[in-house]
Amino acid sequence: MFHWLEKRPFLFSVGVFLVIAFAGLIEIVPDFAQASRPVTGKKPYTVLQIAGRQVYIKDSCNACHSQLIRPFKSETDRYGPYSVSGEYAYDRPFLWGSKRTGPDLHRVGEYRTTDWHENHMWEPTSVVPGSIMPSYKHMFHQNADLETAFAEALTVKKVFNVPYDKPGMPKVGNSKSDFEAAKKEALEEAKKITADMKNQDVKDAVNRGEIPEIVALIAYMNSLH
Amino acid sequence: MNWLSDNVNQLSLLGAAVILILTVYVAGKYIKQMKTDKATGELAEENWDGIGEYKNELPSGWAYTFLGTMVWALWYWTAGYPVDAYSQIGEYNEEVAAHSKMFESKWANADSQTLQEMGEGVYLVQCAPCHGIAGDGMGGKAADLTVWGSKDGVLDVIKNGSKGLGFPMGEMPAGLLSGEAAEKVAEYVAGGMKGDQPAEFATCAGCHGQDGKGMGGMAPDISEYGTPEFVKMVLDHGKKGFIGTMVSFKGRLSPVQEQAVGTYILSLSHGE
Repeated sequence: MFHWLEKRPFLFSVGVFLVIAFAGLIEIVPDFAQASRPVTGKKPYTVLQIAGRQVYIKDSCNACHSQLIRPFKSETDRYGPYSVSGEYAYDRPFLWGSKRTGPDLHRVGEYRTTDWHENHMWEPTSVVPGSIMPSYKHMFHQNADLETAFAEALTVKKVFNVPYDKPGMPKVGNSKSDFEAAKKEALEEAKKITADMKNQDVKDAVNRGEIPEIVALIAYMNSLH
Repeated sequence: MNWLSDNVNQLSLLGAAVILILTVYVAGKYIKQMKTDKATGELAEENWDGIGEYKNELPSGWAYTFLGTMVWALWYWTAGYPVDAYSQIGEYNEEVAAHSKMFESKWANADSQTLQEMGEGVYLVQCAPCHGIAGDGMGGKAADLTVWGSKDGVLDVIKNGSKGLGFPMGEMPAGLLSGEAAEKVAEYVAGGMKGDQPAEFATCAGCHGQDGKGMGGMAPDISEYGTPEFVKMVLDHGKKGFIGTMVSFKGRLSPVQEQAVGTYILSLSHGE
């Protein structure tokens, strides 16, 4: 029955490619839909928030925490409004996660605060008795990697046209020589966060011009809403 | 054998038995065939290095099933469940609307005992992460709700001030009154502002008004301090106090739930 096709290997290959490409198309085309564009008011992450996001990925928070609220009443009651795809427009990669050992964090910025995160990351059971989350004390001593965060922001601006430096959007600059300015900006942002924190070592570090990981992570957590 | 009375369970059991019998029969048939069958039939014209292929018709059962699924798929996409006829968000909206309606009407006239129990549930999920399961603020990590609504609670506010509720009057500075004057005012406010007004209340009246009602929304209405209404006000506004920040819960809780949380928090301090 397929004798004719089997005798023409090139044509057969093209046919196979078309059939498989169709499946790919079904997956790719929706990404260009209006619903996948950034939602109104969505801003790209600041350099400090990207540094926090990198800490989040480095310490594998996404292994236990999801960032996707499904449209079920039981979920929206606990975590807030359900997620829509346009909210992840600036997430590279997205951190939906696949498993909830801990609660969802997609809107954690709406109902947890800087001082709460500070207590919680230092010793989770001090605020959530029975929590099995380990403490992340090292984040209070280690400094966040601002260079990499800056490089990521600059890259996505140049490669993916992420609207940095547009009116009302975070600043990152146009070349790597703008790093010092971006770092200053990040320090200003960090100071606003440490004003709500109690740990004196962290406050001192920021005053010295360093940014501990915990400050970057809290900036990222507070941006999630 | 209680579970057998359920018709879904009966059907599943029947289905399982049918599948088992069919499997045994079909497997047996083919095993027998493999033992006895000799290859016969017409060879197809293709020949790959001496390996040939018989021209076999499709088994008719298989072929009809395949055709059947194609017809079913056409029906499914066009008539049964057209692609644009279902929306998950629509189903979610309907579910939430139905639930909210049922919830509000069911608990519209709930008594305080019911409200307190409901409030405990909401409190444990939404409030306990900061204020603690016992409501004591976990050693100063958040406001101590076990004194809230009582004289000690008012003394706390007078001593430390209050900010972040977002009223036009702005922040309340710390230490406006102290010593005996603070004690008197605290007792008066915690007592629901009944009886003779102490002269020292003049300090508070500057912002909260002579009657404590907040001069029409310029400052918090402290005449309802220690009631669920006051808790609702704080839940709506959020707070940035001398300990930390409390986010606004506006829209996150239904009116009944807010009332319930207020009732429960009151029970923490008044030991009911």
